[in-house]
Amino acid sequence: MAYKIAVASSDGIEVNEAFGNAARFLIFTVNNETIEPPEERICTVGDESDISSVCKDNTCRGNGSRCNNYTGNAIKVEQIADCRCVVCQKIGFQVQKQLERKAISFFDVSCTVEEALSKIIKYYSRIDKHESLRK
Amino acid sequence: MALNLNSSNVATRENRIGSITGYIGTLGDLAKQSECGTLKGCSRCFSQSSTCLSSCALAQLSAIRDVAIIHHGPAGCSVASANAYYLDKVMAKKRGVTNNTVYVGTDMNERDTIFGSTETLRKIILEVNKRYTPKAIFVTSSCATGIIGEDIDSVVDDVREEIDVPIAAVHCEGFKSRIWATGFDISDHAVLSSIVQPPKQKRNTINFKNFYESARPEIIEIFKNFDLEPIFLYCNSTVEELSHISESLATTCICGTLGNYLGNGLEEKYGVPYIRTINPLGIAGFETWLREIGRVTDRSEAVEKYIAEQREIYIPQIEEIKKELKGLKAVLGMGPGYTFEVSRVLNELGIEVVWALAWHYDKKYENGDVPPSMEYLLKHDVDFEASVADQQNYEVMNILNKYQPDLYLSRHPGSTVWAIKNGTPAVYVADEYMIFGYKHTLEFAQSILDSIHNRSFEKNLARRVKLPYTDWWYEQNVDKFLEEAKK
Amino acid sequence: MAKLLDKQRYKCALGAMQTVQAITRAIPILHSGPGCAQKLSDSIGSSGYFSPNIFPCTSINEKDVVFGGAKKLETTIENALKVIDADLYVVLTGCIPEIVGDDTAEVVSHFKDSEKPVIYASTAGFKGNNFKGHEQVIDAVIEQYLEKSDEKEKGLVNIWADVPYQDLFWLGNLRELEKLVAELGLTPNTIFGYERGIENINRIPKAQFNLLVSPWVSVGNMKKMEQKLGIPYLHYPTLPIGAFETSRFLREVGKFAGVDEEKIESIINKHEDYYYYLIERYADMFLETRVMAKQFSVVADAQYALGITKFLVNDLGLVPAKQFITDDTPKAFQKQIREEFENLNYGLKAEVSFETDSYKIHNEIQSHDYHGYPLILGGYYEKEITEKMFGHFLNISWPVQDKVVLDDAYIGYTGGIRLIEDIYSVAVQRWN
Repeated sequence: MAYKIAVASSDGIEVNEAFGNAARFLIFTVNNETIEPPEERICTVGDESDISSVCKDNTCRGNGSRCNNYTGNAIKVEQIADCRCVVCQKIGFQVQKQLERKAISFFDVSCTVEEALSKIIKYYSRIDKHESLRK
Repeated sequence: MALNLNSSNVATRENRIGSITGYIGTLGDLAKQSECGTLKGCSRCFSQSSTCLSSCALAQLSAIRDVAIIHHGPAGCSVASANAYYLDKVMAKKRGVTNNTVYVGTDMNERDTIFGSTETLRKIILEVNKRYTPKAIFVTSSCATGIIGEDIDSVVDDVREEIDVPIAAVHCEGFKSRIWATGFDISDHAVLSSIVQPPKQKRNTINFKNFYESARPEIIEIFKNFDLEPIFLYCNSTVEELSHISESLATTCICGTLGNYLGNGLEEKYGVPYIRTINPLGIAGFETWLREIGRVTDRSEAVEKYIAEQREIYIPQIEEIKKELKGLKAVLGMGPGYTFEVSRVLNELGIEVVWALAWHYDKKYENGDVPPSMEYLLKHDVDFEASVADQQNYEVMNILNKYQPDLYLSRHPGSTVWAIKNGTPAVYVADEYMIFGYKHTLEFAQSILDSIHNRSFEKNLARRVKLPYTDWWYEQNVDKFLEEAKK
Repeated sequence: MAKLLDKQRYKCALGAMQTVQAITRAIPILHSGPGCAQKLSDSIGSSGYFSPNIFPCTSINEKDVVFGGAKKLETTIENALKVIDADLYVVLTGCIPEIVGDDTAEVVSHFKDSEKPVIYASTAGFKGNNFKGHEQVIDAVIEQYLEKSDEKEKGLVNIWADVPYQDLFWLGNLRELEKLVAELGLTPNTIFGYERGIENINRIPKAQFNLLVSPWVSVGNMKKMEQKLGIPYLHYPTLPIGAFETSRFLREVGKFAGVDEEKIESIINKHEDYYYYLIERYADMFLETRVMAKQFSVVADAQYALGITKFLVNDLGLVPAKQFITDDTPKAFQKQIREEFENLNYGLKAEVSFETDSYKIHNEIQSHDYHGYPLILGGYYEKEITEKMFGHFLNISWPVQDKVVLDDAYIGYTGGIRLIEDIYSVAVQRWN
């Protein structure tokens, strides 16, 4: 069964971007454990007016952070909705929630794209076949 | 969101309804962020142990009478069976019934983690069925079985033909969620998908989800006033009873965290209304809850009459005791189903909450609403410091040390002792009915008074014991180990 | 291989966190799921200086499964050292890291130079039960912490017994063993309980010998210490309960330690005099009760099954029905233990069954003719069937719901008297 993995990486080598900051995702299609060359998916995030319509009175403060690109992230999630999982350096809880509603897993890691892909593919491959994760 | 009852897997609570286990700020903040959906979860770089979701799930299922739980995993996972056995026996005895529920393990060993043991599991299921002829069978997984890829769904499908009672696979891999209350959802899911039948006739019953039914006799009496009959779930429930809960007039619950999956499931699938008020704790809680039951079941008149009668008896007594409680400061730490509810009652009694810890926090319930307990507090302008910490004792100690409250209230085993070691009187809100209705609200106020009137025990102990945390830790901010997940 | 564990009487290897907890000021750090500690703890003296809900834990989640949890373990240990004031930190691994292959040894090695010792033990749940986990923890102390000592302290004896917390009476029993050993003029050294801890661990290598009082638990630990630390050991398999066995125990330990025979006999005489003063006064009650058959069964781990059987036969003159050992005793020890059950006064032999499936145990008890109302000493699971048989039930082994024990003991002369008190406190509640 083929599936897709979205990776937030600015250089294609390291997983080095937070979900919210990523301007693009590399979408890898995995087919029978082989990885096809990635498709680059540029994110078109929502503009300021979207955000202000959500939090008009600017009340969303807590721990010094604002609910900046909530809507933008929602759009982003839509844009990668065909993926089985997302790999990025950091990922906010709300994004996690939105992803999981769509049954998309997430891995917030700092490593190379290659390492992340190989580990995740191995995991899914074994889980799908009901095989042990024993090394 | 739609519940998928055809799958044996429940999406974890984090995923489904957006719960968090790491937050520090004020209540107002927590709620406002929750409303516009911006709350960020935090992960910890240091944590102390908490609870496994399987404990919550299987404590629920094993309380049902005459069923079998087969816990596929190493002996440590199924160790809860010992306590389940004890509880089943004493709870049944109290009620005057018998409960022959069995909870067995499979004592998985290293060989099984290498070669798998689904064939043995199959034999065990058949053997348990032969030995005990249970009324339903729940086959449950563990971390180890999840990691080695044991396909318990297939095993269960495979034996279904040979077994003539409901049998369900129950997924309990502890590592799948840090929110142990997901276990409650998992048990509800198993009951909904394998036992509950479509309604044949409506009955004047109310599904009442609770833990240990201690207030059963008095609730039966209360409901008689409205010609309603409560069915208590799942402690001492029978499979037959459960198969009919779709025929009830409504579902209610003593604790939102415990009941919202079942309540929503029954509403969504069978149109049984789910009572989503604040919990029936304290005066406002009890009245709001009762009125909603009256409204939903079309019995408002009888409810109002009952409330008026009871107010006359209890309100003067409660007003009297409030004089003595005024000015006390409290810190509390409980599951989210209770933290904000008890905060409300304390506020009602004139006790100031200086800090409330919820072990996790459901930003939204299954139907997408902000928890009603939270909404109520905000509407009534009650605010205080709040944090969400999954039973992180080191944070509690830090808070108690800084605030030196008059009392600490907790609802989780093993937590009160830490407060008294700090010299803080502790009230263990053990029973879910401890603050139920007017009568127990009064009792609760009285036991708070009793706890603070004699502080000998905690003072004696605190004087003699050394606390296990370093001075370094007490000098840190409470949120030291909360790494905010950025964006 | 997996098996039907019906009414289980032990935990998994990670239950050894209770062994660590029993060492004062030692704390387990769990590399496991978030709920393991809570599951494996009981409310039987758990809220000490450390309690299970403050054990540091890596709380493994799905990401750790895919990407490994070593880094998380490292920060957890690092911060545990900062936040928690302990003398010894013992990292215990649960199921997940051992299957997915986190290198715990490597992570722990980073803390070699930390101010306080950090060691680790492999205690994945599937590696065995908590008896095995207990041995793993003691092995970890021997292998990773202790060094051979050239300096020996004359008369110093390390005493080892069964598994703390699994054994309800562990604290009282150890203290009683210490007292008995001290009466022989020796210096007892134990590592568990009040005022015992890292200092006692440090003294282990200086001992003249190790004394193990257990049918099988920790035999491997004794061998390991003999090998690495050059300490010989005396293995006394029977828990000495009551006069007969305790006197035998004193003679054997005294002989091994080279204590003067006359001194040993005078100690024994003093104890037996008082013991039989008490027995004499209550003998009428034992003889004239209408409600107790002469036959009994014990359902317990090997130490209590053997210790209590010997006591009831050799001291009180009861007759053994079948006895049940529920601790999953390794095959290698079963023959030896069986032989102990066949070595009773008047050539009596007790049939013994090594059985972890309580359904079978209950069937055997219910089908046996005890020639009257039986006495059943066991776990809480035996309460209901004993009541059905109008027998007398005493809860002496895990799980325990019928008895609260703070520092009571069944060991020694005093312990025998305590056990008699408990048995007859149950019996006197009925007339016939």
